[in-house]
Amino acid sequence: MSALDRYTCEETFRRLDDYLDRELSPDEQRLVEEHLRVCGICASEFRFEQSVLDGVRDKLSRLAVPADLMARIQELLTTESSPRGNPSGENRPE
Amino acid sequence: MPPRDASQSGFEALLAPVVASAYRVAYHLTRHRDDAEDLVQEAALQAFRAFASFRPGTNFRAWFLRILTNLHYQRHRKSRREPAVVDLEDAPELYLYTQTAKAGLHQLADDPATLVLDRLDAGLVMEALGQLPEDYRVAAALYFVEELSYEEIAEAAGCPIGTVRSRLHRGRRLLQKALWELAEQRGIVRELEGRKGTE
Repeated sequence: MSALDRYTCEETFRRLDDYLDRELSPDEQRLVEEHLRVCGICASEFRFEQSVLDGVRDKLSRLAVPADLMARIQELLTTESSPRGNPSGENRPE
Repeated sequence: MPPRDASQSGFEALLAPVVASAYRVAYHLTRHRDDAEDLVQEAALQAFRAFASFRPGTNFRAWFLRILTNLHYQRHRKSRREPAVVDLEDAPELYLYTQTAKAGLHQLADDPATLVLDRLDAGLVMEALGQLPEDYRVAAALYFVEELSYEEIAEAAGCPIGTVRSRLHRGRRLLQKALWELAEQRGIVRELEGRKGTE
């Protein structure tokens, strides 16, 4: 592989967010990964950013969801479906 | 056309697997539990009324989140008309990486990001996310909670993919700054700095 086929630190860094979000083309992703294999500083930065994203995602997933939320929605939909709940029948799915 | 009951049960079967994560997204949009629950319920009702327009086999989750996000924006038209002016000068790229390095925390662990985040409870991380301007918060909630792609977020939030990319990338920097400030305020940084001499 020639030097022209490789990303510099700057070219790699520019793609950091898109790489973490899996939004790069397969070619770009390969070039980023090749750079990360040989550049310890960029690899350390990318690992750090990935770790932040994973940590934030983990914490946000811990929000408790009301246990009866789906049941309340079902009640609402049943009322909506009943002639009394929606006398005109407007917008009611058939 | 299926009978009405079959239609309701069919709708509920699609909604049930997405309702928990939709609530989490709604919480980050509204920042209040009661408002989040109300938003999900109202979105479910609107989606049910529009269920005939949903094409079977397409992405129900994205379709429902679009309704939920639209409803949220309808309720907050004022802020929607006034996009946030975001100053990123104080939140440069790699903000948390740089701050943790300056504080000497990279000497303490192979994974200094986790070192800090493990000490921030979930409520504080949610508080940090809550500090983002609304459009950024919407994109971040859909990204972190639902793990949607840029394209799916664009569909749900009703904006171009380039706008989603920009909001996510900028929002990430603002979020890192907010996390660091909370870690400083709660004495977490000081506590970790104190460990340097002992390890």
